Amino acid sequence: MVLLGPSGGGKTTLLRHLKRELAPVGKVSGMIAYKGRPLSDLPAELAAGEIGMVFQNPDAQIVMDTVWHELAFSMENMGYPPAVMRSRLAEIAGLFGLEPLLYRPIHELSGGQKQLLNLASVLLLQPKLLLLDEPTSQLDPVAAREFIQTLHRLNEELSVTVIISEHRLEEVLPLADRVLLLEEGELRFQGTPRDFVRQAGKEPDSTHRAYLPTASRLFLALQPDAGSAPMESIPLTVREGKRWLHSLDGIAAGKDTNAASGGDGSAVHTSRTLAGTAEGFRAHEDPASPLSPAGASRTVPAPSNELLLGCREVTFRYTKDGVEVLKKLSLSLYRGELLAIMGGNGAGKSTLLHVMNGLLKPQRGRVTLGKGITSGFLAQNPLLYFSYDTVQEELKQMAEYAGLPGERAEREISRLLEIFQLENLLLSHPHDISGGQQQKLALAMVMLLSPDILLLDEPTKGLDPGAKERLAALLGDLRSRGVSIVLVTHDVEFAARYASRCAMLFDGGITSEGAPAEFFSSNYFYTTVVNRMVRDLLPQALTIEDVMKTWPVFASRS
Amino acid sequence: MSSGFRSMHPSVAMVYYAGLLLFAALLFHPLFLATEIAGLTFLLVLQGQGRGLLRGLPFYLLMAVSVAVLNPLFSHRGAHILFYFMDQPITLEAVLYGLMMMLVLLTVFILFISYNYTVTTDKFMYLFAAAAPRTTLLTLMTMRFVPLFQRRLRQITLIQRIRGVDAGKGSLRSRMRDGMTLLKVLLTWSLEEALQTADSMKARGYGIRKRSVYGIYKLDLQDKAMLLLFTVSGWIPLFFWMKGYGVLDIYPRMKPMHLGWADAAMYASFCVFVLTPLALEGKEKWLWRSSRHSSYPSATLKKTGTRFMSSHLR
Repeated sequence: MVLLGPSGGGKTTLLRHLKRELAPVGKVSGMIAYKGRPLSDLPAELAAGEIGMVFQNPDAQIVMDTVWHELAFSMENMGYPPAVMRSRLAEIAGLFGLEPLLYRPIHELSGGQKQLLNLASVLLLQPKLLLLDEPTSQLDPVAAREFIQTLHRLNEELSVTVIISEHRLEEVLPLADRVLLLEEGELRFQGTPRDFVRQAGKEPDSTHRAYLPTASRLFLALQPDAGSAPMESIPLTVREGKRWLHSLDGIAAGKDTNAASGGDGSAVHTSRTLAGTAEGFRAHEDPASPLSPAGASRTVPAPSNELLLGCREVTFRYTKDGVEVLKKLSLSLYRGELLAIMGGNGAGKSTLLHVMNGLLKPQRGRVTLGKGITSGFLAQNPLLYFSYDTVQEELKQMAEYAGLPGERAEREISRLLEIFQLENLLLSHPHDISGGQQQKLALAMVMLLSPDILLLDEPTKGLDPGAKERLAALLGDLRSRGVSIVLVTHDVEFAARYASRCAMLFDGGITSEGAPAEFFSSNYFYTTVVNRMVRDLLPQALTIEDVMKTWPVFASRS
Repeated sequence: MSSGFRSMHPSVAMVYYAGLLLFAALLFHPLFLATEIAGLTFLLVLQGQGRGLLRGLPFYLLMAVSVAVLNPLFSHRGAHILFYFMDQPITLEAVLYGLMMMLVLLTVFILFISYNYTVTTDKFMYLFAAAAPRTTLLTLMTMRFVPLFQRRLRQITLIQRIRGVDAGKGSLRSRMRDGMTLLKVLLTWSLEEALQTADSMKARGYGIRKRSVYGIYKLDLQDKAMLLLFTVSGWIPLFFWMKGYGVLDIYPRMKPMHLGWADAAMYASFCVFVLTPLALEGKEKWLWRSSRHSSYPSATLKKTGTRFMSSHLR
């Protein structure tokens, strides 16, 4: 069962009500029943053991320092005898592949491993019902996929009921039996995933579309009568999407021959010329052409050739005999561009940003900033920035540090507040506002320094689709004012849509870089879902918009 | 690398080090102390910790030698006056006593180095948990916070520098203020997260009933045999100590050392106690060393592992 909806829609509150120990304080009416008994009447052991919960932040749930300690913790709480603990631990460690990690200190584990550990630790009590509150929002895509696969296995093989709330639905939705949409504390929709797609198809402007997997969204975009399409034909995964596209391709080709035999000469003519001259089609994907897959970034002026920041053969390691995180890395950044740096976990992406901002000094090589150019850095964890009791104070202190005179500071602050929609939160404590708002606040603080270069570390992590779009719009606005942005991200879709240049960091160096279209279409796996789906037909299309633009042309060609 | 004495049950190691500490405190006799130092040093070298020992040596020697030098300057007891230093009599007995103190100090230092290597916090906590499970849990959770806070503080320092908070620059006052700001950030963040940790603990049934303890250590036959051996060989010197053996009287006049059968028996038993772990460690070495020569069907076994072990010996 998948719960979805925008941030602040009441997903977490609902999940917490299902777990008795964590039920929020407040007025409660109505009743929650577990196996026919009211939840409040369950004995404590049953409530703790049979209903397990995994939270959003992998770090905050961890109690102990080593893996085996952490795993044993929940069983120790239940007072199991050592023999039982031993056999259960063995079982779960085997199932999750945790054996090699058993004696490792937990802080050495990656985020994905930590979250798996949290899940394993809950499963040791053999729950019948698992509640997960955005468990993958802090993970990179590979780890997230692995986590969800594990959940799927638990659900299939052990028939554990799983209730999960999620923003990243590409993987989860196809596996779900039931989808619940929560908005403003109300249940807006309940049904199977395909039902949900059809429902979204009936309301063309609904924001719910953003929650659908890409295959379904493409389906809705290209199929005008999607609302009434037969249930089985609605694609949810890449494979289904591909099959559907090919079937569509066949129909289009059939129509085309019909038209040709019908004697419409001009139609045949245009399609021939398009198909005949390969350049005719390629021209559409030329980054300079209006049909360039650079998507929404089109409105932004093209980057100039003014060099803002250059890294020349930068080599960096953290300790004297540590591994070299960056190896002779060279990179240049021009005015007004949005450079997306991608790479696996631990590839050194964050380190690179630190080095670029001058927070870390490379052992070899140089980082040169253009004359009078300043850079601002937004770390992955916005909490690192806050040291005052209200949002207002934070911004004021920052403006003071930036050296803005009183009046200008106030103007600047109110302008940023408006852009970031933070006006209502001026007097709240920075720790009390939501994760997305915290990030915006931190960004606003960095913006007060009016940097020419903005370095962002994973800005899309844990944001719901709507928030992502707003962030992109903001970045576009900044770019049009000549600010260059470097963002480090795992979010392929985001990079493909909004970046003007993409680079791959691997083994301490930049292995490949280029405009998104070329960059992604040359990748086989590390590319957008749309590209994976349509690459046989439209090798350079990266986003749904690209496909929509080129599809009619393509359909008439074939 | 956990082998030999380190791989024994924590209680064995605990008994061993407790015994050694007791002997170091009770048996005020150069022979016993020297044996203890030699035994522990050799054990550390066998465990491949020789380099670490060497690194700390200057500090320990400085401490120990300064005790040896200071004692005759402050204590003027004893019958044999060697010479006068700034009108203060320096006696032979005081010098000898200082040297003995030096030996005791060195013994304790080396004892703790060896202890730290063998009895890790994990093992200590395991032993402690049997006595006080709740306290142990609390201690473990607290201990996790120390390195965690260090890592976080490093991050915070790095980031806060962007907004001009830097505890490494400026006047003392601004530095202190900035330092406090950094700590405040750390505390706010960590307390916020502690709420979630508490939720997680509660969700996993903390406090529902009496906790049991999961142990990763098993007391096997060898461990039991060792415990027995330590108890027997430890009681004998203690018994003799109570009878007045094994202590060298220095003040007011040093008594001549003489070795009777009782002293010999006491020393022999003491040696058994001190040197048993060495034997274990040596056996381990020998096992692996000999396996290099014996022909294993698999070529991989012969390769890196054994060479690595033996290279430590040289």
